[in-house]
Amino acid sequence: MCPAIHKGEEEGGCGVVGFCCSEPVPGKHIHEPSKQMHNRGNGKGGGIAAVGFLPEQLGVSREVLDEYYMLHIALLDPAVRADMEKEFITANFDVAHACRLESCEDWQSVPGLAVQPPDVWRYFVRVKPGVLKAFAQQNQLNDLAPDELEDEYVNQNSIRLNQKYYASLGRQQAFVLSHGKNIMILKVVGYAEAITQYYRIEDLAAHVWIAHQRYPTKGRVWHPGGAHPFAGLNMALVHNGDFANYHSVSEYLHQRHIYPQFLTDTEVAALMFDLLNRTYRYPLEYIIEALAPTTELDFDKLPADKQKIYRAIQATHIHGSPDGPWFFILARNLVRQRSFQLLGITDTAMLRPQVFAFAEGEVQVGLVCSEKQAIDAALLSLSQDDPRICPVADRYWNARGGSYNDGGSFIFNLTPDSAGQLRLTCTDKFGIPVPMPGGVEPSDGTPEKIPPSSSKSPGDRKIAECFETGKAMVLFEHLRDHIASWSFSEFRAACRLIAEQAGEPGKAAMAITALTLLHDRKFPYGTKKLSHIIHIVRETLRGVFAALPGLDEQEAGGHAFRRIDWQGRDSLRGPSAGESTLVIDAEGFAPEGKDCDAALLVDAYAKGWRHFIVYHCRGQRYIGCGLGPETQGVTIDVYDSSGDYLGSGLDGLTLSVHGNAQDQLGQIIKCGKLVIYGDTGQTFMYGAKGGEVYVMGNAAGRPLINSVGKPRVVINGTCLDFLAESFMAGDPLAGGGFVILNGIRFDDNGHIVPLPEPYPGSNLFSLASGGAIYVRDPQKQMVDQQLNAGEYVGLTDKDWELILPYLEENERWFGISIDDLLTVDGCRRMPSEVYRKVIPARAAEADAETDDAAGEGIEEELTVNQFE
Amino acid sequence: MANCLHLDPSELETLLPENTLKTRVPQYECDRQVRPAPSRFRNEISKYILLRNENCIHCGKCMTVCQHKVHVTYSGYKLFPKGRYHQCIGPSCAKTDHYCVDLCPQRALQIAENPMIKCLGDFRWPADMILATWIMAQTGEVPSADYGYDYECGDSGGGFDRLRFQFPDNPPADIEGEVDTTLELNRRDDGRPRITIDVPWYGGGMSFGSVSNTTQLAKARAAVAWNTFTCTGEGGYMERLRPYDDHVITQVATGLFGVREETIQRVPIVEFKYAQGAKPGLGGHLLGDKNTVSVARMREAVLGISLFSPFPFHSVYSIEDHMKHIDWIKHVNRRALISTKVSTPTDVDMVAVGSYYAGTHIVHIDGGYGGTGAAPDIAKKNIAMPIEYAIPKVHGFLEAEGVRDAVTLIASGGIRNPYDVAKAIALGADGVVIGTAELVALGCVRCSRCESGRGCPRSIATTDPELAPKMDLEWAQQRIINLYHAWRQELIRILRRLGLRSVGELRGRTDLLMHLDFPPDKTEDIQ
Repeated sequence: MCPAIHKGEEEGGCGVVGFCCSEPVPGKHIHEPSKQMHNRGNGKGGGIAAVGFLPEQLGVSREVLDEYYMLHIALLDPAVRADMEKEFITANFDVAHACRLESCEDWQSVPGLAVQPPDVWRYFVRVKPGVLKAFAQQNQLNDLAPDELEDEYVNQNSIRLNQKYYASLGRQQAFVLSHGKNIMILKVVGYAEAITQYYRIEDLAAHVWIAHQRYPTKGRVWHPGGAHPFAGLNMALVHNGDFANYHSVSEYLHQRHIYPQFLTDTEVAALMFDLLNRTYRYPLEYIIEALAPTTELDFDKLPADKQKIYRAIQATHIHGSPDGPWFFILARNLVRQRSFQLLGITDTAMLRPQVFAFAEGEVQVGLVCSEKQAIDAALLSLSQDDPRICPVADRYWNARGGSYNDGGSFIFNLTPDSAGQLRLTCTDKFGIPVPMPGGVEPSDGTPEKIPPSSSKSPGDRKIAECFETGKAMVLFEHLRDHIASWSFSEFRAACRLIAEQAGEPGKAAMAITALTLLHDRKFPYGTKKLSHIIHIVRETLRGVFAALPGLDEQEAGGHAFRRIDWQGRDSLRGPSAGESTLVIDAEGFAPEGKDCDAALLVDAYAKGWRHFIVYHCRGQRYIGCGLGPETQGVTIDVYDSSGDYLGSGLDGLTLSVHGNAQDQLGQIIKCGKLVIYGDTGQTFMYGAKGGEVYVMGNAAGRPLINSVGKPRVVINGTCLDFLAESFMAGDPLAGGGFVILNGIRFDDNGHIVPLPEPYPGSNLFSLASGGAIYVRDPQKQMVDQQLNAGEYVGLTDKDWELILPYLEENERWFGISIDDLLTVDGCRRMPSEVYRKVIPARAAEADAETDDAAGEGIEEELTVNQFE
Repeated sequence: MANCLHLDPSELETLLPENTLKTRVPQYECDRQVRPAPSRFRNEISKYILLRNENCIHCGKCMTVCQHKVHVTYSGYKLFPKGRYHQCIGPSCAKTDHYCVDLCPQRALQIAENPMIKCLGDFRWPADMILATWIMAQTGEVPSADYGYDYECGDSGGGFDRLRFQFPDNPPADIEGEVDTTLELNRRDDGRPRITIDVPWYGGGMSFGSVSNTTQLAKARAAVAWNTFTCTGEGGYMERLRPYDDHVITQVATGLFGVREETIQRVPIVEFKYAQGAKPGLGGHLLGDKNTVSVARMREAVLGISLFSPFPFHSVYSIEDHMKHIDWIKHVNRRALISTKVSTPTDVDMVAVGSYYAGTHIVHIDGGYGGTGAAPDIAKKNIAMPIEYAIPKVHGFLEAEGVRDAVTLIASGGIRNPYDVAKAIALGADGVVIGTAELVALGCVRCSRCESGRGCPRSIATTDPELAPKMDLEWAQQRIINLYHAWRQELIRILRRLGLRSVGELRGRTDLLMHLDFPPDKTEDIQ
């Protein structure tokens, strides 16, 4: 008898984070990123999972840890333990070790918990041989390999336990949190970060950690059964999003005799994955294809043999493929391969935000999160414990859902090398390794040893000379030209010297500008790791900012810069004579609401400040919003991990983001400038009306959707997909808007190189009615199939005249020269040979016509609509 | 004049950025006096017509006896022109002492039903309800019983049309004094201003583009007069609306047309429109013909192109995105209350609770019966849950959560008359949003051609330079002011008959309602 399919509760999106490390790292490091994504949950469900422990910390031998199943069972009603153990543990299993997880005595002392978490028991078990044999005979499973058979027994045992103590009862009493080898899942009604404190696992080390902040919309949740992660055998899955076809997927599982017990779509996702993995025995690539099918142009671009197999997979599994916004992060123990795995999979339409990062080195870290700031928080936390880990990753990137080039999924594998040491590799769905930057020489992470500036070296004198010129560019060029030949300590010394000089009131601006250029621009670094250079520059900049006189200090010695932080926020006042720039230390400020740094910035603007530097950001949102109309002349420079909605509503001011930016930037922007020295996230410039925007790197999914008016945008990289859908920005040659898409990236030497294709997505300029896209496509790689109601036309002289000033400004911001852009395969070409223009098909038709009626209409309209 | 904002002007200065304050213009003032606003058409559609045969001797007797000024004559004319038939109360007049048909010495008069009535209206808005609304808009009073208009319910055969109040036979005696019809919109204790409106309804969002300037401004002026609100709709904030800033709700809809920081900062309430009950999941759609020069300029889009508002917000695919969205608007406008307008899917209760936890002040649920002609027929009434089901579902769920009194629940989608208002409140809403009723007051005949060609033949829902100016603003504003007056008076009468002193007391009193399909003694069962 099939139970009716119904969903227990609605689930929104959430915050998800996962990282894996070539060495086991303690649980406290999952605490920070979880805390920073606090506002993606509502405190009604949080969970973490870990894979790959140290046996001694768990009180078992290596052999038990590797060979025995590790069961975690939550006892909502501790009284049922004896009965439960009798029926589901001791009767079937040989138990090597059993213990109750330690927990805080007073749960209310742990911030972020809504109700008391359940008692959790951990059992290390193997199925009794006799039981297993009987099981095999009873179910005709004799063909299964012994390990597969045992896996299935453990799985079914958990289902029965849940059925008896959870799903079939009006009162829930106990359920299995996780089953598998060397894996643990814990969940609470509360925020995820509370788990590490409550269960006292701050020091418990593991190779892979994932966490989830949940946002269920049903209010009174009294137990954590519905929280993530959900378990499959040897795996844990967290999910950000909400399936539109929960019923269809559940039905699909029912047909295979799998009945969800927790009634959320995440459980269904875990069951699907487990089904494809253990029952269908698909390789990971096919599992991902079954979940997130490759469609449209991407499918056509697959090789023929892949098309054949993918078509078969889609035909078989499309009804079980989750539809709608979802993003999964999984932690897995691949027992047979003796390796651990962390992977993220995005849906084909890329409706949820996702960022991947890889920090290469002696200790390797792979990360995947819903927000970049959570990656930064995790790396920072890790680096504070282990100086071999740099707080800046070597690479940050997004996956393109259901695509032919990366498959919308990246997989971090921790596999033992020849010496038995676990090493981390990262590949996409197709097994292609993710390329890392060329520089491999790490900084030793310790401050430089040379004595302070009393003994002036020639290098020091040169920097002093640069300061004499008063030109930041000269100082920057000096650093740029020498960095490749310097050692890390020489470079650190130079930075320290600049920081010292910045202490003098007249030189601070120059030091900040030069360091910022050093941070933002791309140039050769020699063999040194770029991430380490960036980290040193960021630390120096933070030091320079921190040393600036506080707003509450009486005597500032004529400094044009004044600093304010969370502690000193009440000292906010207008600028005095000679003070020009307010430097806001964002650390400690709330990410939103009355206590966020963006609110302080609005107050400061009202008091007369016009120039701002915001640094030490930890994902705070809405920077640059709320200043109101006509803010020409205001500048805001943002450093570190800026948050969502930055510059949304910009109307006049200039906002620069020094580094990668997050999601929903520049929505409804009316005018002003937004400069992003890196990548930007989802739905960038949604509903924009104008403004000039320069992006050094890529934009993720759905940039410039529903834009109108006259936005003028240069994106030097590319976008995931859906660029400028429903674009309505008039005629660019008559004041309307456009996007210049350069499709380039920087190589290790800071030279620009074209991306494999300027725009990989299947949808460009769909249903657009106005505006244009100027795409750098000298090889004519773009095809008609990528357009829906758009058309390619040639670039005219007028077009080039129009876009040239924006490319010149692009050169000024990022150092991307027009010469380089027009150079193809070493030859300088004509603009019309390099750039193509995409316009709405309708506009192409109407091009010849002149519309006199429109002119008449305007006059009439003005007269008839007067009422006063 | 009472102001809905419990703020004095100096407080505004601390809450609005200087550069938004700078652009603030003097606010329009307007009283709520009822003034006659007769039909703007020479021949208003009437329920009855008078037939005058050749026996008429033009004695003028009919003119002197008629109390309703139906018969007219013009000096210099010998024959009677066509009268004001729409004021005629019809055969029920026979009971009176001034029935012209009987009193005519020549027996020259005859009263008949106007055949045109058969083509007017539809099941939800039958002809009687349209005619009654016109009378309310003309006179500021509900039509007297003499007209025999059956306007309390439509003929849809379900929902509000099958619900009736169980009025006590003898209304309780102790209900002298004022009946309170005000509605408090901010029930969260979050430091944001309190806003009280004088009637438990406000005007729904109709964009410039979908309706004319005059229509929008008339709605705004009526909102000022009655100390309530009107909503910009999706098409942007017209400069001409600025004198009404304090009574305007800026709508942030999925197309984000015309939404800018200053238009968010100007107003006391910002509404997120996720979906419309008439077409959930379909977004907005302004057909190319209605994208006229002025609309294209307002929305900064291309002339003559169909304009789509996507569904949903591209930046909001989940509840935590919604919270982020709300936080954004709260950051940009520090005094604004947030309203979240959603349609009514089966899980509307969860959506409402989620919105509450995300920080919204007003949960606005829009049922499936709303919408003008522009919503596709296949969607109208067929996708969203009827509002009569959604209200008690959401009300009950919010109560079970223990948050009912911390959020204002507003219902819309098929609120046609004061009885619907009272029923919606008795089902559990705090107040309602009205849309079509205002348009009917302006002369809409429910022809459902809003989206076609250049738009409305009655000059209401059009921006066409020829059609739109045919309606006069002063007249239009008075029609809506009168309508509000008639509704409020009738609502007070309903409350008095039920023995209630305020609209708030009516909320959730399903015990006062009965469903015609369930005889009154069994009403227990359906609760």
